[in-house]
Amino acid sequence: MGRAIVITSGKGGVGKTTATANLGAALAQLGKSVVLIDADIGLRNLDVVMGLENRIVYHVVDVVQGKCSAQKALIKDRRMENLWLLPASQTDDKDAVSPEDMRKLVHELKLSHDFVLIDCPAGIEQGFKNAIAGADEAVVVATPEVSSIRDADRVVGLLAAHDVPARLVVNRISPHLVKRGDMLSQADVIEILVLELLGAIPLDEQIVATTNKGVPAVLDGKSVAAKELVKIARKLAGLEVAERETGRGFFSRIGRVLGLSPTPA
Amino acid sequence: MWKGITGLFTGKPSSREVAKGRLHLVLAHDRVGLEGGRLQEMRQEIAAVIARYVPIDSDAVEIQIETRSRETQLTVSTAVPAMAAAGATGRTRP
Repeated sequence: MGRAIVITSGKGGVGKTTATANLGAALAQLGKSVVLIDADIGLRNLDVVMGLENRIVYHVVDVVQGKCSAQKALIKDRRMENLWLLPASQTDDKDAVSPEDMRKLVHELKLSHDFVLIDCPAGIEQGFKNAIAGADEAVVVATPEVSSIRDADRVVGLLAAHDVPARLVVNRISPHLVKRGDMLSQADVIEILVLELLGAIPLDEQIVATTNKGVPAVLDGKSVAAKELVKIARKLAGLEVAERETGRGFFSRIGRVLGLSPTPA
Repeated sequence: MWKGITGLFTGKPSSREVAKGRLHLVLAHDRVGLEGGRLQEMRQEIAAVIARYVPIDSDAVEIQIETRSRETQLTVSTAVPAMAAAGATGRTRP
């Protein structure tokens, strides 16, 4: 039996879909069998971020309405073994699916895959309730900004009310701005949200280029963001994460004391 | 701490520090789920209750919501005039 993880944030535009695509690809590269579900019905995007938009035949609403089986609707990512996408419908609205539908669907997919990653829509209404219904755990994505953290806090409260344990990913952190005192550090975000940190993804221009091409950044694996995403995927899979030996010197220790460098886990 | 150091020279907190302060305040109120108006209503009612026992200035009663970890704490504070405190023994209850 696999695990279902919902990727959520409350606020839109913080990188949920990009994180879902990359964590899915990274888990598949680790040899896990992974299904990505786009739960943003009416505003599907995971397909274009994955570069699979031309191959959609069926979508999640078709499956829920019994027009086809879940297995038939899955699109296989040909770039690697073990990665599938269940796209959202672009024409229906959120009410086309109920939390009970999602619970059943996710359960079915968990029987045949190690991981089911659910890309949650922004907001906390019907789409959110659908997306978290079948989830065993949550990854809350927040950027180091007041608005994003405020919304993330609301989502953390709602997840707790539904007994879904949550862990944190801080996205688009700029060490340079943190150092200058113009950005919240990952330690600040952890302190405020009181969540276990899975990882902090640095602001990285290369993500823009890979997303343009519809290729998850972890597939080339060279950018700093990709490295962190792979690390997060390893943590999700319960694998050992090699902490880099750099960052143990005098200056980084000072930085750590000042809250500038990541605290060792 | 870094902003503390730069603050020593500029006298101004860093934007990071400002963001943190604003978040603590906003989240405390979000977590309690009380809008500003309801909070003031509650403050006035609490002040009225205290004033039944101790002569206080109702306007000086303050309500503060703070979060530590995920615990949210509501603190009501007010100054009690010295006279009232001294004369309080046995005579405050109406």
